[in-house]
Amino acid sequence: MSAPARQLELGRIGEIVRRPDGIPKTTGEFAYASDLQAAGMLWGHTVRSPYAHARVLSVDIGEALRMPGVHAVLTHDDVPGEKLYGLEFPDQPVLAVDRVRYFGEAVALVAAEHPEQARRAAEKIVVEYEPLEQVRIHLAGVGDAFGGREDLSMQIHGALLALHASRPVKMVYNREESFIGHVHRHPARIWAEHRATREGKLVAVRMRILLDGGAYASSSTAVTSNAASFACGPYDVPNALIESTCVYTNNPPCGAMRGFGAVQTCFAAEAQMDKLAAELGIDPVELRLRNALAPGHVLPTGQRIEGSLPVADVIRRAAELEPPPAEELPRDPLRLPGGAGNTTRGEGIRRGVGFAVGFKNLCYSEGFDDYCAARVKLLEDGSAEVHCAAAEVGQGVAGVILQVARTELGIDDVRLAPHTTATVDSAGSASASRMTMMASGAVRDACRAALEERELRGGEVDIERIYRHPRTSPLDPQTGQITGERAHVAFAACAMRVVAEVDLELGLTRVVWIGAAQDVGKALNPQAVEGQIEGGTAQGLGLALMEEIQTRDGLITNASFTDYLIPTALDMPPVESVLIEDPEPDAAYGAKGVGEPPTVVSTAAILSALRDATGLELNRVPVRPDDVVGL
Amino acid sequence: MELRQPSSAEEAVGLLGNGHVALAGGTEIVPLLRDGLLRADALIDIRRAVPRGIHGTTIGAGTTLAELEVDPGIPVVLREACRLAASPQLRAMGSIGGNLLQATRCWYWRLDFPCYLHGGDRCHAKDGRHDEHAIFGNDVCASAHPSDVAAALLALGTMLRTTARELPLAELYRLPTTDDPQTTTLADDELILELEVPIPEASVYLKAMDRQRWSFPIVGVAAARTAGEVRLGLAGVAPVPWTLTSVDDLDRATPLPGTAYKLPIARALVARALRAVATG
Ligand SMILES: Cc1cc2nc3c(=O)[nH]c(=O)nc-3n(C[C@H](O)[C@H](O)[C@H](O)COP(=O)(O)OP(=O)(O)OC[C@H]3O[C@@H](n4cnc5c(N)ncnc54)[C@H](O)[C@@H]3O)c2cc1C
Ligand code: SF4
Repeated sequence: MSAPARQLELGRIGEIVRRPDGIPKTTGEFAYASDLQAAGMLWGHTVRSPYAHARVLSVDIGEALRMPGVHAVLTHDDVPGEKLYGLEFPDQPVLAVDRVRYFGEAVALVAAEHPEQARRAAEKIVVEYEPLEQVRIHLAGVGDAFGGREDLSMQIHGALLALHASRPVKMVYNREESFIGHVHRHPARIWAEHRATREGKLVAVRMRILLDGGAYASSSTAVTSNAASFACGPYDVPNALIESTCVYTNNPPCGAMRGFGAVQTCFAAEAQMDKLAAELGIDPVELRLRNALAPGHVLPTGQRIEGSLPVADVIRRAAELEPPPAEELPRDPLRLPGGAGNTTRGEGIRRGVGFAVGFKNLCYSEGFDDYCAARVKLLEDGSAEVHCAAAEVGQGVAGVILQVARTELGIDDVRLAPHTTATVDSAGSASASRMTMMASGAVRDACRAALEERELRGGEVDIERIYRHPRTSPLDPQTGQITGERAHVAFAACAMRVVAEVDLELGLTRVVWIGAAQDVGKALNPQAVEGQIEGGTAQGLGLALMEEIQTRDGLITNASFTDYLIPTALDMPPVESVLIEDPEPDAAYGAKGVGEPPTVVSTAAILSALRDATGLELNRVPVRPDDVVGL
Repeated sequence: MELRQPSSAEEAVGLLGNGHVALAGGTEIVPLLRDGLLRADALIDIRRAVPRGIHGTTIGAGTTLAELEVDPGIPVVLREACRLAASPQLRAMGSIGGNLLQATRCWYWRLDFPCYLHGGDRCHAKDGRHDEHAIFGNDVCASAHPSDVAAALLALGTMLRTTARELPLAELYRLPTTDDPQTTTLADDELILELEVPIPEASVYLKAMDRQRWSFPIVGVAAARTAGEVRLGLAGVAPVPWTLTSVDDLDRATPLPGTAYKLPIARALVARALRAVATG
């Protein structure tokens, strides 16, 4: 008789491990931050500007303070110390001082016993504004998705209210407020010129990138730099002139968003590669292979690729994925463009096949180096406890930490202590496709140190280790060239083949199938990696087909999920993914971050398929029926 | 705010008007109250006052869309329009009467821009983005009526019975003018009680949306063939549900720069709908 299979929950590195949060999230039992309660808790509420640009003449909080249940009403006067903050440099007031610069900017805060009391008190705050002429940028394309966890929004506000009221305070943004109070992806306008030899070898790329940063900087400078660094795509380009500019406007602030600048430029660069292929009469996949970036090549920033970057392999493997044959008619309308709307029985339908490849950096870059700590306790009873403050934001890092610990320690009985910096040093932020890479490095090192310690001294062991990635240095702001050995830690590429159908008479689309090949280094939990690929693809599909923040004079006009559409399960095609394991030499187990590459490339790949189906240039996303059937 | 729950239509009519507003499923009215777009001193819950249920060709105005979408006895076009409206949760609460009386989805109106429909003196949509807006009847207000259900009922030649009168559905609606922003002819103290829905020989509803499901119509086309004659009702093309008397009516559309794309969509959908009811 064979030994019973180890419970899926207790898998080691490289095995599929079932996620403990999967079922509670599906059944609605999972406790999100907004479900938190504390004894004596107050509710925080934000008073926001109704203007995109105005002088604040006065703020009268007298009546609000006298409202029932109110414990604190704060304005900029109550902000102790630094009154400005920002991810890269402090330019954003915690609470508006004498001016507001975007619609919905925070002006005052209220904490009260009940959320409705807080809301009513907020209505009693009288703010006198003098509207000012706005900084305007016309014709900026707008393309957006969810705002950033990486950014600050209510954190400072909540802390201030709690400080003043000496009570726990809860703040929850409703959907509309989330649209207003969180950063967005930078809308971009891009001009690109590609030159190549007759044989299809790229000679030069020129690109001008203009990004709308909104009213405050947030991470705009890093996004702007990233857009430039990855503007050429994963190709060996001997000459590149990239100009990347971000401007302040009175639009909603933009910041970090999955793909971080590389999404916008991948869309432009891959459209160019398809055009170039058509112009040269070379198969688009072949053209990409002829230019594929590889270790040893030098990036436009001057950085030589030292680690893993199997671009040609990624392209080949995605191109080899066989799309399903065109389905016969008649079909269930759900499998036709127009979906449930029952708009066609096959009339007007044209099928298109597209391809795109993209890449981006992993981990913090350009001298923003950071670290991740982990602490491991080996207990008398043979079990172990791991402390690591890596934020579980749905990506599954908690599972990865346990897999690493079980693998290193060779035991099943490992517990993960609550994610907190109270018992262990910082893990840094869950962003930049870095958390799994950094946490697995830190936990691996702490486990190995703990085993050594026990070997040496015996008994219970408690040890903490800090993991750092290879040092990076900033890019020269004038030339964009590296100022040290590297500006970026590592890279990951992803390629997608897409089949789409378009109803040419109605302009309605349907993405039928996506085949993806992604360079993952080592899949620590293959199912979780595939989940990231599908999720990232869904976001890219939203950007390609429907998601767009619309504004009028700085005011978001579609700040709800009724008006701002996101893809449903019916809009998502099956995604067939191939994981390419080419270990990253400097990373624990060779694993790379996997969250962003699919978002970088899916929008571009879907557009490529839509162009093939329609014969149109389609140089703007999202593609709506207007773009297909409009004049 | 006060909530009253009358048990008969007469009682309800007596309570309505003067800031007392009818509440059915509340899916439309509650968000409007919350966003300050509608003011009411009292809500009159009419669910016990208005008939609910399907009896042959008569449909109670209080019948929910969820009840209609699964009823095998009602015409396909109506069943499909109900099934394609909103989301399952909203259809479980939303009534067919409330659906006919839903307010425009125009963002400017919903954000309280002082436009014609709010009693102002211009249409903010026309000088801003207006891709979702109208291609017919858009001289004054350019909003696009979102009701799939009304388009279906127009195609079917539905008659309404209210607490005051009987009327063809088309007469429930009026195009807003510069001095009267009303889009319906319903009095403040008038309730829709029942709908009389003829059974056609064939019918179909085609709805172009910005995603595969759960969105308002870009253009919705309802077609029903009765005694060899086909009638067409359109959603998403005019400030009120729109009837096409013939395909040639499409030549009289007045698209705006941002809505021009809706015309080819309407043309193609009308052609497809006509083909479907010719054979089906
Ligand atoms: C997010 C969202 C998406 C939607 N999508 C669609 C869609 O795609 N297609 C579509 O067709 N519809 C759509 N709807 C509209 C939806 O179908 C309506 O909200 C619903 O049917 C309204 O019914 P109710 O009973 O909830 O109305 P209520 O909210 O209770 O009332 C609406 C209005 O009608 C009045 N009223 C209600 N019943 C009567 C009556 N019998 N006599 C007189 N006056 C009455 C009320 O006073 C009120 O003014 C959507 C709504 C929402 C909120
Ligand atoms: S379309 Fe109608 S509702 Fe919208 S702004 Fe114009 S007048 Fe107002």
